[in-house]
Amino acid sequence: MGEYLVFHDVAWHATYAIYFFLIGIVAGLSFLSYASWHLSALRPLREKSAYVSLALLAVGGLLLIADLSQPMRFLNMLNPAYLNFSSPLAWGALNLVAYGIASVLYLLMLWKKDEKNGKMLALVTAFLALGLPIYTGFDLTVHQHRPVWNTPAIPLLFVALAFSTGSAVGALMSANNAEAQQVLRQFMLWSAGAVVVILIAIMGTTSYGGSAEELTFMLMTSGTMGLLFVGVGFLAGSLAPVVMLFAPTGKSISVILVSALLILLGSAAVRYVILMAPQQVQTLF
Amino acid sequence: MSEELRVSSIETRGVPGKRRYAMVIDTRRCIGCMACQVACKAEYDTPLGVNRTWVPYKVTGKYPNVKKHFLPRLCNHCDDPPCVRNCPVEATFKVDDGGFVLQRYERCIGCRSCMAACPYNARFMLPSHRTYTPITNVVDKCTFCFHRVTQNLVPACVQTCVGRARVFGDLNDPNSEVSYLVAHNPTQVLRPEQGTKPHVFYIGADRNHTEYGRDAYRRIEVMESEHAAWKKHFDL
Repeated sequence: MGEYLVFHDVAWHATYAIYFFLIGIVAGLSFLSYASWHLSALRPLREKSAYVSLALLAVGGLLLIADLSQPMRFLNMLNPAYLNFSSPLAWGALNLVAYGIASVLYLLMLWKKDEKNGKMLALVTAFLALGLPIYTGFDLTVHQHRPVWNTPAIPLLFVALAFSTGSAVGALMSANNAEAQQVLRQFMLWSAGAVVVILIAIMGTTSYGGSAEELTFMLMTSGTMGLLFVGVGFLAGSLAPVVMLFAPTGKSISVILVSALLILLGSAAVRYVILMAPQQVQTLF
Repeated sequence: MSEELRVSSIETRGVPGKRRYAMVIDTRRCIGCMACQVACKAEYDTPLGVNRTWVPYKVTGKYPNVKKHFLPRLCNHCDDPPCVRNCPVEATFKVDDGGFVLQRYERCIGCRSCMAACPYNARFMLPSHRTYTPITNVVDKCTFCFHRVTQNLVPACVQTCVGRARVFGDLNDPNSEVSYLVAHNPTQVLRPEQGTKPHVFYIGADRNHTEYGRDAYRRIEVMESEHAAWKKHFDL
């Protein structure tokens, strides 16, 4: 057609998808650590989950800071004179800091074997951890013009992904513990099931939208993006684990571990495509 | 504008005692000479690959009955700008008197949230190396030539437009040329459904340009452009 188009770069690159993936696991592991106070089968995971979640939080935080074009100015996010509370990023920064402090205190209590305060801090940490997938979801939903992002289902999807990926990492960390595996199988089954339902809901809505939605749907379901989203993210990474875990053979440890790996792979693919496809459409406007 | 239409406290169109600058672009007068783009580049030392204003075109019809449509683009200086809402550190803000949406370069952390929020793809990241200007690695955009307007000059693109396709002025002043043009011509704004109340008005804009078209979809470019951007971002 002889068109001359200016393509300004997409705003958020794959670093954000990796960050979302890591922060989901961080939240999921915090839920497991809190659940271990109520489910004896998960007791061996209590300390491990807390340590790994804090380590991944550090990695995710550094990744986020490194992705800023002015990394040293990340301190501006913590400056009360600058903070803009209409931005979910501002709430997210506060949530991350609060979660980090609570996690360190929680680990301190675990180290001191202070059960009373430890249990209380496990609850606080899990509550703050719930804010992590919710705020990362809001990072996307508040962009009113972007198909897929601007749906209330995204924070719910991220919470479900946090549960499923956290449980998957938990399952991999307790590969020799049959009792914990059965509890984590239930967690993975129901959270991956929720992911399947939410993904169907999002894509169904998107396919019936306007021209931008139509283009986004085309991007997400065809070509390399389609392979990643439909093939890896939905079929292999969400639907297949649900079927495998639900089947009569789903209680075997090998099936649980394979499902855990698929869930992690699928979650990474879903997050990448959900982040990138609506942005690619935007560059065409 | 009636008071009832205003839904957000940030909006200043029709507020007595305040100016609300706007640009009217008469696409029937645009000849696609790109002089506006060049003037803007010269005014701001805008680096290669990014633009504060740009003039995309589309060719419609079938030979020999074809027509070239130009649609000069820039920041829409929305009355209810989503970029301002989304900036976590208030690096981007709206000037109450005038309606300019501006950027505090020294405060911008480069999270690119404003770029993600802009429905018009009007924001961009400045590269790390520039020829004359020390402002680098922060988000930039059109300022409606704030520094010129406050000196009673029109923006550089308006000054240079040979066809007088671009007209700039105070929409809150009923005697201004932009008020006259908006009142006496059918005008369009880009993506009105987003509720941003853009303040760049088009006369005679073509639907092929103001809406997404299926021909914009090129499957192969998606992953390639992301791969290239990723490498560029991390200097690989």
